[in-house]
Amino acid sequence: MRAAAQARKYRLQGAGLDLALPYLMLAPGLMIVLGVLVYPLWDGLRASTRAYRYGSPVADVGFQNYVHLWSDGQFLNSLWVTVKFVALSVSFEAVLGFALALFCLREFQGIRLLRTVLIIPMVVTPVVVAIVFRLIYASDAGMLTALSEAMGGGEAQILGNPLNAFIGLVVLDVWEWTPLMFLILLAGLQSLPHEPFEAARVDGAGAWRVFADLTFPMMRPVLAVAIVLRTIDAFGTFDQVFVLTRGGPGEATRLVSIYGYDTAFKFQQTGYAAALFVTIGLVVLALAFSAIRLLRRVDAS
Amino acid sequence: MSTRVARILTTIFVLAVVLLPIYWLVSTSLKSNREITQEGTLYPHVPTFDNYVRLFTEKQFGSYLTNSLVVTFFSVAIALVAGAMGAYAIARFRLPLAMEGKVGLFLLTLRIIPPVVILIPVYLLMLSLGLLDSWLGLIATYTAFNVTFCVWMMESFFREIPVDLEEAAMVDGDSRFGAFRRITLPLAAPGLAATAIFAVLVTFNEFLFALALTATPRAMTMPRGTATLIGRIDTDWASMSAAGVIGALPIVFFALLVQRHLVRGLTMGAVK
Repeated sequence: MRAAAQARKYRLQGAGLDLALPYLMLAPGLMIVLGVLVYPLWDGLRASTRAYRYGSPVADVGFQNYVHLWSDGQFLNSLWVTVKFVALSVSFEAVLGFALALFCLREFQGIRLLRTVLIIPMVVTPVVVAIVFRLIYASDAGMLTALSEAMGGGEAQILGNPLNAFIGLVVLDVWEWTPLMFLILLAGLQSLPHEPFEAARVDGAGAWRVFADLTFPMMRPVLAVAIVLRTIDAFGTFDQVFVLTRGGPGEATRLVSIYGYDTAFKFQQTGYAAALFVTIGLVVLALAFSAIRLLRRVDAS
Repeated sequence: MSTRVARILTTIFVLAVVLLPIYWLVSTSLKSNREITQEGTLYPHVPTFDNYVRLFTEKQFGSYLTNSLVVTFFSVAIALVAGAMGAYAIARFRLPLAMEGKVGLFLLTLRIIPPVVILIPVYLLMLSLGLLDSWLGLIATYTAFNVTFCVWMMESFFREIPVDLEEAAMVDGDSRFGAFRRITLPLAAPGLAATAIFAVLVTFNEFLFALALTATPRAMTMPRGTATLIGRIDTDWASMSAAGVIGALPIVFFALLVQRHLVRGLTMGAVK
């Protein structure tokens, strides 16, 4: 609104404001971002070097919070759970998504429907996705139990068992995000040039040869981008775990995001939690930027 | 013929894997709690809409819906306006050396950081401003996230539109901002639509900040409100699944309606 008024003024006053226009246009967005993201980020850095009690800072402790993290068994465990979760989920999603994309490359009856339906899992609210999977896994009311009982078996024990709960979480993530992988990879496949493939067909190359020598090498950058995007997102996974297992049983599904949240809001260790999140943020940023650099090098060679 | 059969079978299998969980959610929402926990039926034998009625009469689901709609609408609308102007400024103007090429990267960096990293300081900020458990607190937070996203996405849309068109308008006596508003903005409309759709999806589904920043039905959004139905010792499976259906339905419907834009928004940056 203000920018519109400024522009009208600019027309009346002449060229003087021409120089200011880019700043006037950038200002509203930057102000919101600076106020609600950048200031808090800086404030978070400050908070991470303090000790808090009942939500108020009580002492400066320097880097003590950061040092403490690396001897905190619960943090190290949550980090390990997160790494396992991300590595497993993203690998399955990449393989399944790639296979599906190759499968859908040729137009056939039903592909429209398939693509439409595949959009559903990733647009459904993550909280609802978690509810859906609770309804599947629950030992008393779940679909698995109902199926098992219909076939004469007993109750399915998923969320009460550490290993099963972790696998259950990975299955949820794969269900929710394989479609995204699929869409990105399908778009990548569709944008590949035709000539090499025609040449290969003329040479009589088999399907596997074409895939190993042409499709895969040409798809590597797109695949890498898709994997990096999913990895970054998976690191921040929170909603689904919070609703599905709350991190349990024990610490089996307690991702760093859950541990950090509990540290801050349940145990009121605000400064320590801030240090934890800053650390995670740095890890993800380092991951992202090294991936970007790696991609550039691959592109250049 | 055999590849055709294999193709059909694979398609059916994939559809089943995707749709079966959804079926279970919807079918559970139509059962009574007794039928859910004690009989374990595969489909509702005595279908009932009681669960839905109960959500609105006893569980204040109406306010969650209202809060979600208000917060999503305002944060996306503000972010679109601010984001479009910002993106245009970055795409078209020569900024001073310190800012040239850096504003975009800066916003991208903010976008990469997991939201959970900013959670605590945003909570402290809203606490000190007295904006906890209010629409305004949520709108401000979501707007900021959406702005980084909008600028990042729209910048490329603006770059694709030739400058000549604006210059022609300015030769005809239009101001720089007028040329932007009357020429460039309409041409970028499909891109803006894709951006808006995406922002709506993400905002409507957001849970983490809603969880930390709201506490009562006064400001709780739908995902946040739905989560309150869970976690007691005795889970009310029936209301929970009904809430899940209502939480998912509008957004799935919306997404399927705008499918083409959605797929474009999803894949564009990744493939280019």
